[in-house]
Amino acid sequence: MAANVRSRHRQHATGRALIYGGLLCLAAFYLMPLWVIITTSVKHLDEIYAGSFIGLPKEITFDAWRSAWSEACNGTACKGLKPYFINSLIMVVPAVILSTGIGAINGYVITKWRFPGSNFIFGILLFGCFLPFQAVILPMAQTLGFLGLAGTLAGLVLVHTVYGIAFTTLFFRNYFVGVPDELVKAAQIDGAGFMRIFVSIMLPTALPIIVVSCIWQFTQIWNDYLFGVSFTAGENAPITVALNNVVNVSMGRKEYNVDMAAAMIAGLPTLIVYIVAGRYFVRGLTAGAVKG
Amino acid sequence: MKRSIRFSDRLANWLPRLVLTPSLLVVLVAVYLFIAWTGWISLSSSNIVPRYDFVGLEQYVRLWSTPRWHTAVANLFIFSSLFLGLTTGLGLLMAILLDQRIRAEGALRAIFLYPMALSFIVTGTAWKWILNPALGVQKVVNDAGWTSFVFDWISQPRFAIYCVVIAAVWQSTGFAMAIFLAGLRGIDNSVIKAAQIEGAGLPLIYRTIIVPMLRPAFLSVIVLLSYVAIKSFDLILALTNTGPGSATEMPSTFMYAATFRRDQMGVGAASAMMMLMTVAAIIVPYLYSELKETRDGC
Amino acid sequence: MNRPKNILLATALALTFAGQAMAQTTIEGLHVWTSASEVGALKVLTDKLATMGFVWQDSAVGGANGANAQQALRTRVAAGNPPAVMQFLGFEGLGWAKEGALRSLNDLYNKNGWQADLPPVMLQFLKQGDDFFATPINMHRQNWVWANKAVFDKAGITPPKSWEELIADGDKLKAIGVTPIAMSDEGWQIEELFESIVTDVNGPDFYKKAIIDLDDEALSGPEMVKAFDLLGKVRGLHDAGYTGRDWAAASAMVANGQAGMQIMGDWAKGEFLAKGMKPGIDFLCFPTPTATPNYKFVFDTFGGFKINNPKINSGQDAVAEAMMDPEVEKNFNLIKGSIPARTDVSMDAFDDCAKRSFADRAEAIKNNAMWGSVTDGFAVEPRFSGVFLDVVGKFFVSDMTSQDAAKALVDGINNAR
Repeated sequence: MAANVRSRHRQHATGRALIYGGLLCLAAFYLMPLWVIITTSVKHLDEIYAGSFIGLPKEITFDAWRSAWSEACNGTACKGLKPYFINSLIMVVPAVILSTGIGAINGYVITKWRFPGSNFIFGILLFGCFLPFQAVILPMAQTLGFLGLAGTLAGLVLVHTVYGIAFTTLFFRNYFVGVPDELVKAAQIDGAGFMRIFVSIMLPTALPIIVVSCIWQFTQIWNDYLFGVSFTAGENAPITVALNNVVNVSMGRKEYNVDMAAAMIAGLPTLIVYIVAGRYFVRGLTAGAVKG
Repeated sequence: MKRSIRFSDRLANWLPRLVLTPSLLVVLVAVYLFIAWTGWISLSSSNIVPRYDFVGLEQYVRLWSTPRWHTAVANLFIFSSLFLGLTTGLGLLMAILLDQRIRAEGALRAIFLYPMALSFIVTGTAWKWILNPALGVQKVVNDAGWTSFVFDWISQPRFAIYCVVIAAVWQSTGFAMAIFLAGLRGIDNSVIKAAQIEGAGLPLIYRTIIVPMLRPAFLSVIVLLSYVAIKSFDLILALTNTGPGSATEMPSTFMYAATFRRDQMGVGAASAMMMLMTVAAIIVPYLYSELKETRDGC
Repeated sequence: MNRPKNILLATALALTFAGQAMAQTTIEGLHVWTSASEVGALKVLTDKLATMGFVWQDSAVGGANGANAQQALRTRVAAGNPPAVMQFLGFEGLGWAKEGALRSLNDLYNKNGWQADLPPVMLQFLKQGDDFFATPINMHRQNWVWANKAVFDKAGITPPKSWEELIADGDKLKAIGVTPIAMSDEGWQIEELFESIVTDVNGPDFYKKAIIDLDDEALSGPEMVKAFDLLGKVRGLHDAGYTGRDWAAASAMVANGQAGMQIMGDWAKGEFLAKGMKPGIDFLCFPTPTATPNYKFVFDTFGGFKINNPKINSGQDAVAEAMMDPEVEKNFNLIKGSIPARTDVSMDAFDDCAKRSFADRAEAIKNNAMWGSVTDGFAVEPRFSGVFLDVVGKFFVSDMTSQDAAKALVDGINNAR
């Protein structure tokens, strides 16, 4: 009996060791590029060009970070990433709110106010997820020109909202499918209308999926380069376009340390979103997004 | 009084449709009309700017006579299947491991999720160094004493696409993990306990009971990952820039180069149509079955 | 007490004037220059524009060998919102000029007689039909070898006279433990090597016939096969870490003495000068080895889009005039590493490599031995130059035979026609 318990203990202990070992190995694999990025960003450029691409810096310097934030050149404008960081913030907030809001109400209609053809419409919206965006750049540019929004942040917000609808609708539809129809019926009997039910019953229950939708949209929009470079110009450019200009030099030397620091700065908002909201993310997904 | 009720009734009837209409219209224009436009361009002689003439299937013939396009198509299939398989498998494994009441779960989760947050324009450079035989993994292992160790896939045209897979898996597995973890958390613990009492070991329980219960999570993961796979673009440009040679060309990079670099807008549009048709052939049946199920009251 | 006030007043006035100047005309330029030396050079131009009363509004889009900027331009044009001036390399401008999208600069050319100040072979990239649409500011030479003098001395070699000799020198460099050629597997870097070999071995006339006129026979003939054979031999001369290396890192290898030489355009020069190395003493610059001296060029131009706004049009004219200003060309090129586009600028302030480039160009103009680089889009239209990039890149990294490569060139070109 005692032996049995001990062996089970041992089995348990080896099992735990395996789990932790596996997780640590995976974590090491996942951190490898981050290690390269961070060590490179605090190296002197000469050290990198002398052949030290991977490995510890001989001397730590934060010059590259300062340069990336406030001095790096995007063309002749050497103001660092700061102004473009602000552009991205100005653009991402309305785009995330709009696309999430529209997705929420669409999901609500598709699940709780079904009408003939509503599923078909959902299918039509959903197919938009799989559109290769490179194919729509030119007609979209013509449309924005027609609307007078060419080269503006407002135009970029519009584009991100339009192409975000497919995914946000999918998220909310999958979530609201799990909300019992009885809730809506009861509210209707109490005399609540379409909007009233949405605002005071559906939205409060939807908090987890709102978080998921916002995180997804925030990541996609913040990291988008293609639309940014297509639909804005010069001073209106979002941070990814500026980052690309800092990183991609054609006939000049690459400042790898500044590149890496710039990448970290450009990724900081999304990193923070993932770390701070990460828990809610999984919780939100648990609460419904995976009901497929 | 009666009339106004009827009016509000009718409004209530129509309101849902009205609410959906703007989204529908916008998507009809921004997705379907633009696809139609691309289709038209693919039948025209467009080169540097759109030209609205008709040359039949000439651009498609030209497309399929381009060796680089064949590479791109083959790569798309290699990449997508490996990427989907590995990301799903690894994501599931990570989720299961994390679900064993692990200490520091939050930190580990953040570590697995962070690659999604960083732009590949630069993480691609980091991967490029790691995979480079003279700078990265191979050098570290060689310096450590194992001098015959070789890991130079990135310089081998035949294997470079697998390097792209590695980096892509690294970037997206965290997301799959999050969805699976969510799915696992949604499963009632009593199911596991009951099976344990009957004497089943954990691996068996996972294989026969829990994983099948994750079916919805699998579907979400696959939809989201196919989206990521089709969009894989800056990944290729940053990591290999379609090299060595054009060994890691993908349809998205092909289309981009044809349209914007080689003044072959018609060929670019034809490749876009081919991509769309492929996507449609895979996604439409899936959507159809999914939505039919819902209609049946699921 | 009074003085600070006056200074304040003066500053305020100056600011008002500056403000007015700004309010007058802003000229937006879309370009691909993002590195320190490129931006520094561009500043010479924009400073000049400022003295002429125009404010430069910068739209830089770097990366993807110019594809990103081309894409930005196409979307801007599609949206009816083109930039005032756009940087064009090679055939890029010609395409737009053919579509009738660019403004004619004939008045300026006629007034200033610029045609006479430029190498004649340049004009075909500045003129569509009867209309000049762009002005150049510089010229890069593409077919250079950059070598580490100390390493060459140690290996007991001098600049080779032929490609066979260069390849043989590789073994001597290997013998002293040095990578003979610093390079990368990036398609364009391989293509630069290839086009130098094609021209050097078969002569500039063959280059014209095969790569500029796209003659089927020349493309698949024995000369082309020979060039591929030689390119294949270069394969043994690079190191294992060449994957994805960018060209500046390759230059650094030569500068550090890890590698013997690099075949690259003269934008590489800055990498050596920045380390305080002196041409002829610490590093060598010599043209790729040949019995038939030739000059392969790349140059930057700006052209203006048709915009119905007289103020912007006068700004577009100002850009053209500033670019053709000898003083601007001199100062611009001192920073950028290239030489002036104009043939009448004094080279006194330049380094020896630039002087050599200038002298060789004058010689090449006389001998009709000067052609545009196919790698950088100065030989054929983009849909054809892409074929060279594909085939040469693939040949170098795979086990394709020279015959197959030559055949792939012909097939690819005919498919793109």
